[in-house]
Amino acid sequence: MWSRREDERLLTGGGRYVADLVVPGCLDAVFVRSGVAHGVLSAVDCSEARRVAGVVGAWSAADFPSGLHVPYTPSAGLSAEEAVAGREWPALVKERVRYPGEAVAVVVGEDRYRAEDGAAEVAFQVGPLPAVVTPRAAADDSVRLFDGLSNVAFQGAAGEPIEESVWRRAAVVVEAEYRQQLLMPTPMECRTILAVPGGDRLTVWSGHQAPHRLRGQLAALLGWPVDRIRVVAPDTGGAFGSKSAIFPEYVVVVFLAVLLGRPVRWIEDRMESMLTATRGRGQDQRVRLAADADGQLLAYELTIDADVGAYPHLGAGLPMQTARMATGPYRTPRVYATVRSVLTNTMATYPYRGAGRPEATIALERSMDALARRLRIDPAELRRRNLLPPESFPYRTPTGRVYDSGDYGAALDLALETLDYAGWRAEQARRRGDPSALPLGIGLSCYVERSGGEPGGLHEFAGVEAREDGTVIARCGSASSGQGHETTFSALVAEELGVDQVRVELVEGDTDELPDGVGSFASRSAQVAGAALRQACELLVQEARARAAGLWGLPVAEVAWSGGAVSPARGGAAMDLGELVKATGPLRVEDRFESDMGFPFGAHAAVAEVDPELGTVRVLRLVAVDDCGVVLNPMIVKGQAFGSAVQGLGQALYEGIPFDDDGVPRLANGLLDYLVPTAAEIPPITVKDTCTPSPGTPLGAKGAGESGCIGTPAAIVNAVADALRLADPGVLRMPLTPDVVWRAAR
Amino acid sequence: MKITLTVNDEVHPLEVEPRRVLADVLREDCRLTGTHLGCEHGVCGACTVLVDGRAVRSCLMLAVQCDGRSVRTVEGLRGPGGEPHPLQRAFSAEHALQCGFCTPGFLMVAAGALAADPTIGEDPDRVRALVESNICRCTGYEPIRRAIVRGSCPGSVA
Ligand code: FES
Ligand code: FES
Repeated sequence: MWSRREDERLLTGGGRYVADLVVPGCLDAVFVRSGVAHGVLSAVDCSEARRVAGVVGAWSAADFPSGLHVPYTPSAGLSAEEAVAGREWPALVKERVRYPGEAVAVVVGEDRYRAEDGAAEVAFQVGPLPAVVTPRAAADDSVRLFDGLSNVAFQGAAGEPIEESVWRRAAVVVEAEYRQQLLMPTPMECRTILAVPGGDRLTVWSGHQAPHRLRGQLAALLGWPVDRIRVVAPDTGGAFGSKSAIFPEYVVVVFLAVLLGRPVRWIEDRMESMLTATRGRGQDQRVRLAADADGQLLAYELTIDADVGAYPHLGAGLPMQTARMATGPYRTPRVYATVRSVLTNTMATYPYRGAGRPEATIALERSMDALARRLRIDPAELRRRNLLPPESFPYRTPTGRVYDSGDYGAALDLALETLDYAGWRAEQARRRGDPSALPLGIGLSCYVERSGGEPGGLHEFAGVEAREDGTVIARCGSASSGQGHETTFSALVAEELGVDQVRVELVEGDTDELPDGVGSFASRSAQVAGAALRQACELLVQEARARAAGLWGLPVAEVAWSGGAVSPARGGAAMDLGELVKATGPLRVEDRFESDMGFPFGAHAAVAEVDPELGTVRVLRLVAVDDCGVVLNPMIVKGQAFGSAVQGLGQALYEGIPFDDDGVPRLANGLLDYLVPTAAEIPPITVKDTCTPSPGTPLGAKGAGESGCIGTPAAIVNAVADALRLADPGVLRMPLTPDVVWRAAR
Repeated sequence: MKITLTVNDEVHPLEVEPRRVLADVLREDCRLTGTHLGCEHGVCGACTVLVDGRAVRSCLMLAVQCDGRSVRTVEGLRGPGGEPHPLQRAFSAEHALQCGFCTPGFLMVAAGALAADPTIGEDPDRVRALVESNICRCTGYEPIRRAIVRGSCPGSVA
């Protein structure tokens, strides 16, 4: 009756998100925030707030231990000791405000209303300093965020520098500048944390993608052993990368819960998230792409100035994902990418669905279309001449990735066929001869991305337990935020063990259930956790056969396994798992599995009609062909592909953060200003897939779920550039608002 | 202030501060947490409930404005025998939810429209308008549109 295990509770009001949990005596924390982007804080006075009825306490940084800081994130190279050295991120502002919305005080009340009453009474002053909100503006250090330190917090490169002679000798060199605008991941549930002290332990509930990581960070913060902390991620209302970190607010809430010995929660509201939720993307890019007269790519250079926000703790190293993926799906012999991560007066940037790969794909694919125009070669043909052929794998790219497998040409062909590429080209030609017709363009985008994580984080933990009543509990270190793990992983375990699905229950997102875990990000759950579960099932079967062998006095080789039961191979009654547990005691295996990286790929194509007088863009068709290897649950993966394509559409056309001169985002009307797509903006979208199994993972699965954010934006922008026949692709700065398109059309 | 709300056919005599919004009273005083808050400024529609049969944003309405009126939330969508509402089944069948946070709002918008006019599923423009009224960040909306058609025209598959 229900397609997914999760559905019944989520459709009937039975979901349990953090804000739904009932904890007697729980206090609400409300943060007092700076309205100024950059400035010197003085005269914080919480005394009036403390007198407000229902307020339990109010604190500024002066009331906290001076070492109460936000830790940095070393996982996946997101940040590094060098980047954060000398740049501490205090949980509450000490003397310098570095981004708008940064918290200067916290008020805790018996409920949210009382806490907000108190917050309104906190007095403080911020003496404004000049603010810098783009990496270009910040990189020259004329305004410094940390006195005596450069705003450039991290530098890196992938590949080898390319000699000037290569550019001089090339038949064509496309040069362009692109801005990958700052985006907000915008899950419909904002951030949440609830900290409940009890005995000598602390239980923390949070809508979170990596509970074990959060547990470790909180333990370090409190100076406690990890086993005194339990982190649970209950139902989570979307994440898209933005919920895997630790934030200043989390540090404060946990500290106060311990200090007060009472449960404290912070349920972020949308308006505060507009200023203080992590941002994604944020790169100023320069490219050079060289080809010979036949369109064979010779060299590609990508220079990135990345906006990492006011503190380098979360994502200073993230732009290296872009640099390492700069090669894209082509056999370009020389590729070189450099990164400068620059501090700006905005909340920190952090992975947002795609996390570095959209920035790589968009820069390259927009340049490919520009190259096709320069050479007067059809953009599909130009790509075909350069795509890595299926026999080239494993392929080590000039930027250091080793692509596992792929048939990039097949994905492109399927996209073209699904779109009716020839038909739309004919329609385009017809319109070009008809002065009354609106111009129409076709845009392509081929991508390859990386899934699973980075070395050091390519593993996951899983466990399987058989119980006397015949049920099976599967545990893994992932945490679902809408991807349907209970459905997919239970089905996987049932199939591996040969038992009915109703017998299997998945438990995840709870650090007390499994000693260690990594989490759900980087499109890793199916690929890595799925494989870990499978391996755990194999261990369980081995153990079951060994026990049966002991019970029956047979060699293990003579115990067969099938349909969730052991039996003597030479004939005799089978014994179900539940019976075996009854006879031999608890049966539980745990296991760590390490995967290789996966490299999903695909081709997206868009048709757009542009009104040059109004600057409006109407997407007429969007086709997304993705290949994420072996798919565990086709409906769920299709839903992920579709939903991410719509986020990619938002990135291309609607979503962006405009800033006032004082560095404060113009988002005073919340979701009326930050335009996530609504149903009114959705064109006809067709999602298809090809399947090239990954040789590096036992299930053959590569990661799924980020494809649309990676592949779709460039297809749409290229369609608009094609409609307007733009010589300089860089004039189209995303999002393609009517203003941007109207100017480009002049 | 003393008010009485009839929520999902159950009478709740309540003592509430006049400033409390309906969503908070439903969630915290009535302990019906199926109504979600996605923006608290009237845009996302996650908080949609039916007040006297009409869809309202419960983050924009004060609980005291609903004194003596009848409210239906997602918890009250099942039939009298506990059987799921056709929309609930259709949302599942069409994969019209992923994280499920927006889902109660879409269900209540659709349920209200369907109760007012059982033929609504036959009119693609009106269905589209319903889907356009709320925000979902996960699904891309098309599955929600199909689910509303499916749930309002038993036997149909959009
Ligand atoms: S929470 Fe009420 S409309 Fe968003
Ligand atoms: S299902 Fe997640 S917001 Fe709609």
